[in-house]
Formats: sequence, structure tokens, C-alpha cells
Amino acid sequence: MSVRQQAYAALRICYFNGIMPLWRSPLLIGAVFLTPFSFLFFLYVIAPRALFPFGVVGGVLFTALFTGNGMLNDAAYLRLERQLQQVFVASPVRPLAFLIGMALSELAFALPAMVLFLGILLWVHPFSALGLAALVGVVLLTWLMACTLGFFVSTLFQQLREIWPIGTLIFSSLSVLPPVFYPATAIPAPYQWVAFLAPSTFAAQLADRVVGLGGGITTSVPAFNGPLFDLLGLAALTLLLASAATYFSRWRES
Amino acid sequence: MAALEARALTKLYHGRRGTVRALDQVDLDIPKGELFAFLGRNGAGKTTFIKVAATLLLPTSGEVRLFGEDVVAHPEAVRPLIALVPQEGRPFFHMTPREHVYEYLRVRGASAESAGARTSEVITAMGLTPFENEPSYRLSGGVQQRTLVAMILATEAPFLFLDEPTLGMDPFGRRQVWEVIRRAVRKGSTVLLTTHYLDEAEQLAQELAVIDSGKVLYRGAPEALKSTVKREVRLQFSGGFTAKELAEYGQVIQDRNRLVLLTMRSRVRELTDRALERGGEVTVGPVTLEEAFLELVGRGIEEEQ
Repeated sequence: MSVRQQAYAALRICYFNGIMPLWRSPLLIGAVFLTPFSFLFFLYVIAPRALFPFGVVGGVLFTALFTGNGMLNDAAYLRLERQLQQVFVASPVRPLAFLIGMALSELAFALPAMVLFLGILLWVHPFSALGLAALVGVVLLTWLMACTLGFFVSTLFQQLREIWPIGTLIFSSLSVLPPVFYPATAIPAPYQWVAFLAPSTFAAQLADRVVGLGGGITTSVPAFNGPLFDLLGLAALTLLLASAATYFSRWRES
Repeated sequence: MAALEARALTKLYHGRRGTVRALDQVDLDIPKGELFAFLGRNGAGKTTFIKVAATLLLPTSGEVRLFGEDVVAHPEAVRPLIALVPQEGRPFFHMTPREHVYEYLRVRGASAESAGARTSEVITAMGLTPFENEPSYRLSGGVQQRTLVAMILATEAPFLFLDEPTLGMDPFGRRQVWEVIRRAVRKGSTVLLTTHYLDEAEQLAQELAVIDSGKVLYRGAPEALKSTVKREVRLQFSGGFTAKELAEYGQVIQDRNRLVLLTMRSRVRELTDRALERGGEVTVGPVTLEEAFLELVGRGIEEEQ
């Protein structure tokens, strides 16, 4: 199959694994909305109003990050419970096309919530079209990073029940603890570096900066203090995880 | 040229309880355009062989070639030529049988027109028309399995791996699947089928191999396997005899609440008369593939012990 046909296969997988179930059970969208909105509501009630836009950006990123949890569970379900990954391995579909198709289907689930959060953000904190385009770029990189991580981790397990808590553990650690819903500067200065252990910190800082919220960690090294550093960090981690997902994942078991 | 050639194929699984030799120096050729059955007990190595040959699993050593392509070194060259019904696979819960077949064909690169035509053809041939627009969560297990088989057979791939394709189907469903498999072979596909239904292997396969503990014990035609049984007839008793009494007449197999005796033709009259006198029931027939299989694998187990 040519590259064009592989791309088409990915879109087809997105259609029947993402859009089709969503169309038939629209309530599934509610499950995606619920957690980030709860966090946002919580912030709205207890935090100073100035921090609310950070929470809204956090909602967008949380939704993008949790596509990874969906990917982890979906990929494991298709491989272990339905044995359907075997059907795709024994076919001309390349691992990357399958991975992209699955990731796009997770994006389809997340998209309505993301659009709503973006709408709220534009309402409470208007910013430029360029900022919006940059934010969309950050969200797409975050989605790609989360999905490749989810797919990679899913291949390491042989039991579905082991995977459920792992997904919650990984993606909650990436989206709730790090400065996703709040500015990194809220962390006491001596411990701010710890935030960079989470790849989501790069995404959150970059997102906050491109929409003009600021709030990024300032270090004594000027090169580490701008959006370029965040972008490079996020892109490098995404590339690393995408490589791991495509090369080390057990498309063919050993 | 053989469609599939395996040479010294070995697969070891290392676990906490030691190493399991799932495939042990397996040599096997499957001729092009043939329906070949793989028989064996649970855990004999059938599925491992299929997984290796279908590029799902790396072998520990040895070689497999599919249409001349090295399965281990060049899986990308092999994958467009194959399709697989996995063991105990289940379809997507939200999709209908028609959507499964059509979407899978489209993903594999078929045009809309060709996918539509092949979907209609296979849905009809497999008897799925009454369920074609029902989501699979509403379908029985047998119909779900038929959906999965339809999806794979519709590909008309040159090599089809069918790992227990009729598991859980009723006799009507099985026969419909058999017919579509036969049609695929007539169209030129080579089929490797594993099954625990020996009547299925007898009905479909031109050749078969019996595998046990990772070793091929037999390879040849089903009829030739039956002729390896040293007894001529099969008597099935419901009452009338105990297993101990029958043992002096030949080989006794306990089959649920019945006893099956494989014996010589000359003993039939005596045994049937005695069974009827004692109020038992007896049926007489030719030796089946099942008995040949049981004898062969039983012999293998005894030799191993």
C-alpha cells in the first residue's frame, strides 16, 4: 500500500473506531467533559479570578492528555479482549497508520470538549488569531505525545485489568499534579525544576505563553525562559515517545 | 512452489515454570491453492505456528517463507498477501456485520466499488443477511464469529489463516462457512485452518498435519491418516459392556457416557449380539478421523512418557 493508502487507512480507522461510536452514543462525550469541567468549576469557586484562564487552558490540555488514557485502554481492549489488533497486523496496514488512526479516533472523542474550552478561553481571555493557531499546535503536539505514550504502555501488558489503574496513574500524574491547571510559578521556587519531570509542564507553559498568560518558570539561564525552550522540550518528548511507540511496541511479539 | 515453507521452526516460551517448547524443529510445506488443516490438542503449538507464519510472533529459530518471502526478515512483504481469523477474536461491539466487512476491505486498500460488491457477496454467502445491519453487541456469539470470518474471507487474500474459525457456531452456520472457505480455495487462495472439529477437517482439508508438543506427528491426506488405525471398524456402545470387558477386543475410548471400540470386522457380530442381549445399544461404522487422531496423539503421549 502506498503512503496515500496508508493515510486513508488511518482516516478509515478513525471513522469506525472514533466517529462511528460517538455518533451512535453521544453520551460518551459527557465522560470526556466531566473531569476537566469539575476541576475548572473547583478552581472557579476557590481560586482568585486571575487564575481562572490558566484553569481553562488546563482544561484544554487535560482533555488532550487524556486522549492518551483512551488510547491506552482502546489499544489494550482491541489487542487483548477482541484480538482485533492481530487482524490489522496480518494486513497491509502499517503500525504507524494503525497508531495514527487510533490516535485520531481518540481526538474525535476529545474534540467537542476542546472546542468548548477554547470558546470559554476566548470569552474570558481574548487573544490573537496567531495565539489561537499556536495553541492549536500545542494541543496537537500534546495529543500526539499522550497517544503515543498510551499506545506504547498498552503493549507492555497482557492483562486488561492491570492496565486500567496504570492508565489512571500515568495520565492523572501528567495532568493533575504538574502545572497544567495552575501557573508553574505557584510552585515554591526551590522545587519548580521538579515540574519539568512531567512532559505536560512544557505543553502547559507553552500554551500559557502563546495565549499571553505568561506564568512560566524563570531560571538563571535565559535560554530556558522562553517559549522556544518549552516548544523544543515538548517536541523532543513527543518525538521520543512516538519513536518508542512505533519501534518498541509489540506490533510483532517476541 | 509451496505457498508456505517452514524449516526447523522453533519457538520457546520462557516463563516462571521454565521453558516451554511450543514449536520444535517444525518442517512443513503447504502447497499453493490447497486447504490445509492443522490438528492438535490444546497447547499443541497450532496457534503459535499460525502466529509466527502470520507475522504476529517472532520465532526463536528457524525459517518461514510465504510465497518465497521471508516472514521473519520481511514481514511488510508478506502482510499484503495474508489475512487472519484470530482464535477467540470478537468484532467491534458497535459495528454491524456489513460495516465490519466493508470497512476492513477499505482499510486494506479496496476501492469503494469493489469493497461494496465483495461485502454484499460474502454477507449473502455466509447467511448474515438477516443480521447485516444489527450492531454486533446484539448478535449471538456464533453470528459474531461468522462476522469475523466474513471480514477475513472477503479479502480474498492469497493466504488465509483461519484459527478455529467455526468455534461456537451452530451446524448450519458451520456449513455456510465451509462453503465460503471452499469457494475461496476455488478462487485460488491457500488456506491454513486449525480446528478441534475433526469432521470439519475431514470435510474441508485436502491435507492435514497433526502436531503435538510442538512436533509434527503426521502429515498427509485425511484418508491416509485413517488408514493408519490398525482396526477396521468402530463400534459405539451405550450400555451392555464395561470398558474392561471391551479392552480385550481392541482399543477402547471413553466418549462421555458412551464407549467407543475400535476392532476388527470379524468381532462385530459377536459384540453386537452380546450388547443387545444385555439390553445395550450399539452402532457400527467406519473408523473416523477422530479415532485416528486420538490413536496417533495417544501414541505420541505414550512415547513421550
